[in-house]
Amino acid sequence: MTRQAWLGFGFLAPATLFVVAFFLAPVVMTGFFAFTNMSTATGITGGTYRITEGVISRLAGSEDVPAPLIEALGQQQSVVDPTGLAALAQGDFDAAFVAELEEELGGRTFASQRELEGAIRDLDNRPRRVRDIKAAAELFERSVLNVDFATQADFAEAIQAYAGPVPDTAMTALARAAYTGWSMTTDNFSRLFNSPELGTVAVNTVFYIFATLTLFNTGFALVLAITTFYLPSRQASFFRTVWLLPRISPPVLYVLLWKWLAWDTGFLNAVLEPLGVAGRNWMFDSETSAWTFVILINGFVGASMGMIILSSAIRAIPQPILYASAVDGAGRLQQIRHIILPQLRWPLLFITSYQTLSLLTSFEYILLSTDGGPGSTTEVWALAAYHTALRNYAGNLQYGYGAAMALVLVVFGIAMSFVYLRLFNFKALVGRPRIEQ
Amino acid sequence: MDIRIENFTKRFDKTTVIEDLSLTVRDGEMMALLGPSGCGKSTTLFAICGVYTFDEGRLFFGERDVTGLASQKRNVGVVFQSFALYPHLTVAQNIGFPLKVRGESRAEIDRQVRSAAEMVRVPELLDRRPGQLSGGQQQRVALARALIRRPDVLLMDEPLANLDAKLRLDMRTEIRRLQQETGITAILVTHDQVEAMSMCDRIAIMREGRILQIAAPRDMYDRPDDTFVAGFLGNPPINFVETQVVDGHCRTQRDTVRVPLPERLIGLPAGAKLTLGVRPEFVQPSHHTRFTGRITFIESQGREDLFDLELEDGTVLRSIQSVGARVGVGDAVEWGISPHDVLFFDDAGQRL
Ligand SMILES: Nc1ncnc2c1ncn2[C@@H]1O[C@H](COP(=O)(O)OP(=O)(O)O)[C@@H](O)[C@H]1O
Ligand SMILES: [Mg+2]
Repeated sequence: MTRQAWLGFGFLAPATLFVVAFFLAPVVMTGFFAFTNMSTATGITGGTYRITEGVISRLAGSEDVPAPLIEALGQQQSVVDPTGLAALAQGDFDAAFVAELEEELGGRTFASQRELEGAIRDLDNRPRRVRDIKAAAELFERSVLNVDFATQADFAEAIQAYAGPVPDTAMTALARAAYTGWSMTTDNFSRLFNSPELGTVAVNTVFYIFATLTLFNTGFALVLAITTFYLPSRQASFFRTVWLLPRISPPVLYVLLWKWLAWDTGFLNAVLEPLGVAGRNWMFDSETSAWTFVILINGFVGASMGMIILSSAIRAIPQPILYASAVDGAGRLQQIRHIILPQLRWPLLFITSYQTLSLLTSFEYILLSTDGGPGSTTEVWALAAYHTALRNYAGNLQYGYGAAMALVLVVFGIAMSFVYLRLFNFKALVGRPRIEQ
Repeated sequence: MDIRIENFTKRFDKTTVIEDLSLTVRDGEMMALLGPSGCGKSTTLFAICGVYTFDEGRLFFGERDVTGLASQKRNVGVVFQSFALYPHLTVAQNIGFPLKVRGESRAEIDRQVRSAAEMVRVPELLDRRPGQLSGGQQQRVALARALIRRPDVLLMDEPLANLDAKLRLDMRTEIRRLQQETGITAILVTHDQVEAMSMCDRIAIMREGRILQIAAPRDMYDRPDDTFVAGFLGNPPINFVETQVVDGHCRTQRDTVRVPLPERLIGLPAGAKLTLGVRPEFVQPSHHTRFTGRITFIESQGREDLFDLELEDGTVLRSIQSVGARVGVGDAVEWGISPHDVLFFDDAGQRL
């Protein structure tokens, strides 16, 4: 490789590292987690195989595992097996009793310890004392309930020993159900696409993006850009600075101000109460008021970028063109409609695409203000993924499911990017003449 | 419709760019606003079309006072220096724009756009965009747009400055033709004296925000009011010679040139300083008032030759002659000036 090529790599290295560490690696990890059922319950390291009441109730009605087997697993049995007999022989029991028990009851299974005790009482050489009978019967008590097995082989052996031969499919299903660690699965996605709550969240997300984008990031930005264009320059720069403040103030402080505005003893109530409006926390008062705040909070931040881009696009229009339109008889509105707006098509498209993607993935302002509430009325997709995977009140953090939600966002975002890239290229191809001269 | 500017003053912040300017353009006349770059020609034009406001003074179109009227209401057609076509609109939409914003029907706009395009000879370009046109084509489109709604006045700001030399000649006649065909009152802003002289009925020559002289091109050339006007008009430029009055003549310090005073100036006191203005075409081998000098430079302009000749005292006189003189650089010659065509300026530069 030539020196220049190495030099090129050298210059690219920091950017490459950055992309790999902060973009590719998280995406790859998210992609991986999305196909696991990791959660607080499974832990993120390995697990054991254990039949619990929960596993049994989950298996009920399963096609793979026969119902009698499931029932058996849930019970405690007494089995007169060689293990038990050996233990008995070791114990402090009469040899004749041991021999008779092996002879009469060897290999039999009893549904409960009590039944076995009854059978022992019928033996000729049974111990005298009831306590000894009980002790002998205890040695044959068998159960797989709540016993940990380190490997699937141990587990299978124990089940077979307990319940007799089990078909392979049943054993696999059983092992999967009994595993307490995480495992690879595609269940997250079927769950995700069938979840009515997530349907609502998706609708919320679309509404949130559409409303913020049209009302503020483009709409209000356009109004600001055009009005400040017609203002005297000193006033114009004052207004632009004012509208830049939400963007440059720290998010926590900014949202706190909004909360102060909205809460029970806040500014809104202080103003409205004398007018006879009952006090309330406006941010959580109703679905409408919560959305209003969420959109205002995000919109005031988002409008400034559009304002700046559109302002400079308007100022890039050569003065003579605006003069020409004035002497051609175009009033201010016609000037905006026929001269300014057509020149803003490209920047508007850019803002729309950029802001769609950024609104899709950013949720910090919602998290800090309503946190998705009241209830989950303002829960958007990115926030829901965060809640599912990293913070929720139930305490069971579902890393895998949350990652699946995040992955959907990533895939959707990439797809949108391609659509927008196509749009931009398309524009370049058509070659609408840019402002010249 | 005539245009009357009365005592127009324009300031940007504290700087006065135009001071107390008055000008009347007669109905159907084409007036040139001529002057060096930065003298306030465009500012005056922008004030007439309403893009700039008057700080002082009044503006009349005919009998109507339009001083306070917005440009939208003035009914002026303007061709801007950069043409200022709308880049996102087709040629047809550009030309039709003034009618469209006035709310004319589509059929009417279409009809008029077609005839305007015929008039400026671009009917085949209607579907193109400005970015796909040459400079001359853009120029024609800008003219059509300015003329389509039959404005009361037509204003053009350096319309030929962005064109190449050949095109400039074509457009010169073209613009004059259109102006005469439509009979519109027009103002042409230019820094090029040839343009002003060849295209316009009258010229208003400006310097530093004031009008120095208003006259027909020939009159202004023959009888400039002062040295600035005399120097601004004519290519190659006029020769200035510093002289003093001595008994019925004026002569240079070392008597290298001596010109008899015309009758009207006989009364001037001896020793009065005069600046002579001698156009190069009036310095010829055959003329009466003789002087000697050495040829320092010859430039051939095809049909004519241009000579620089240096007199003994270092004064340089420029002469333009039909091809044929058999002299070379370094030759000493005795040529002459035609005394009737000499212009006399006083100490302050005013013509006497
Ligand atoms: N918008 C403006 N603001 C401040 N000064 C200006 C402005 N327009 C023109 N000027 C000044 O006014 C003077 C005349 O300008 P202009 O009318 O464009 O000259 P011209 O067209 O004759 O070359 C120049 O000195 C120029 O710097
Ligand atoms: Mg100018």
